[in-house]
Amino acid sequence: MKHRGDLQRFTYGERVIHWVAGLSFVFLLFTGLAFSHPRLFWITTLVGGGPTARVLHPWMGVLFTGSMAVMFLIWAKEMLIQDQDRAWLKAVKHYAVHDKDKVPPAGKYNAGQKLFFWSMALLGVAYVVTGIPMWMPGGALGLGPFYGGVVNGMRLVHYLSTVGGGLLLIVHVYLGTIAYPGTLRGMLYGSVSDAWAKLHHPLWQKDQSGS
Amino acid sequence: MAQGTQGSQSGLAIRRISASPDPAPDRAPGARTGPELAKLIDISRCIGCKGCEVACKEWNELGVEPTENFGSMQSHRDLSPDTWLLMRFSEIEVDGDVQWLIKKDACLHCEEPGCLYACPAPGAIVQYENGIVDFNHDQCIGCQLCVSGCPFDIPRFNPATRKVYKCNMCVDRVEAGLEPACVKTCPTNAISWGTKEEMKALGAKKVEGLQGRGFDNATLYDPAGVGGTHMMYVVPHGDQLAEYDLPADPIASAGALAALGGLRKLGASALGLGLLATALHYLGFGPQEPETEGLGGAEAVPVGAGSEPAGEGAGPEGSEAGGAGETTDG
Repeated sequence: MKHRGDLQRFTYGERVIHWVAGLSFVFLLFTGLAFSHPRLFWITTLVGGGPTARVLHPWMGVLFTGSMAVMFLIWAKEMLIQDQDRAWLKAVKHYAVHDKDKVPPAGKYNAGQKLFFWSMALLGVAYVVTGIPMWMPGGALGLGPFYGGVVNGMRLVHYLSTVGGGLLLIVHVYLGTIAYPGTLRGMLYGSVSDAWAKLHHPLWQKDQSGS
Repeated sequence: MAQGTQGSQSGLAIRRISASPDPAPDRAPGARTGPELAKLIDISRCIGCKGCEVACKEWNELGVEPTENFGSMQSHRDLSPDTWLLMRFSEIEVDGDVQWLIKKDACLHCEEPGCLYACPAPGAIVQYENGIVDFNHDQCIGCQLCVSGCPFDIPRFNPATRKVYKCNMCVDRVEAGLEPACVKTCPTNAISWGTKEEMKALGAKKVEGLQGRGFDNATLYDPAGVGGTHMMYVVPHGDQLAEYDLPADPIASAGALAALGGLRKLGASALGLGLLATALHYLGFGPQEPETEGLGGAEAVPVGAGSEPAGEGAGPEGSEAGGAGETTDG
């Protein structure tokens, strides 16, 4: 899959952990939506029915949380917002309409990707904190039973976080596939073309070619 | 689930179904309806014999659970998936006298059932027209949100079956025109059974009687926060509700749950609109292709393939390997 001139963008480990997180999140999103609204409950059929979905959802959450934690450790440093990112953010409206001449050059990750990273990290924490009482309403971690208002409030936060994460996922998948051809192969095979890097991450491309 | 069953006192027409788009639908046209039924527990007449516990186990064929002496007249420490009814004993001092406060702990069959509102599985919890709240284990997914939705801490989860259990008011007996097993067995008539209206009237009369005998704080426990219950208590010491383990002001649906009901429509719409927005964006602006290449990779179009030799010189093998190494370090 690699051509001459391609740049290595993601290691094998990075790709594996990304897809573990991504696929578990899709599972969680769809089963979660099924639990959230009666009209969507049929989705549980796709994963083996309501009781199976209920058993798998929290364990898939454990997998998602674990992979998120690993991704956080791998990428947090690279995702720190820098001056070039602030400039990029100011020009985000040009980015949105593919007016590339007015978009300041980005490094390995642009500010949008960095904000996606931090948003998902934050939502991940929200999912865990609100998810555990819903997993074990009888009590967990020695905290005693979770009753009434506590769990109801947790459900609300869990749900709103899900809508937020779902919207982010839509944008993430859209931009990573059909909106920017050549991006997906970076996460599938690890490498991207030099031209792609020049277009989307010029500072990184310059850095890679120069070394 | 059968509607208008023959020989029933009030039929088993459904009033509410968990996780249905409209949990409180209007009655189906022609659906048979009947009076609301209720149990009335006169705590002042209870002698603590636990005959009702035994009758409950017998009728519902619930397993025997070993217990131990833990310094109380109570048979077991807590309700369980196999113990739907527990007489709770609480020894307290009232005006220098030791008092035994006894509470028949079982499902109160709320008019506004918090368990049913919290349940995400369509049809796993139903409320019949007669007021009985029943769990339908075929539909139960074992999420236990009913447990946290209940303001009285009644439903119990069985990890082996992954289902939740509670008193069903002997709905099979009631449907056949009989009283619940606990009512039938009570030797002191501390438990009465009838329509909700009758039981409220009887309860009021009993309260009046108790007040005449010096129980100034006697009260009828039929909390408004859950729309009233279909098991009510005549409580001699109405000022000691906490000691009886009876919440003073239980509510069926905490604000967050009600908000969730409205927000989930908004949330599902938001996700749908998100998909729509990306589709419209794609139609409006299309893909942004790198300039010197086509799609690249496996999907390379002929134009892209043709331009590759040009890139060969620009990106020598050495720089590529260096790039890979750096990424790994990061």
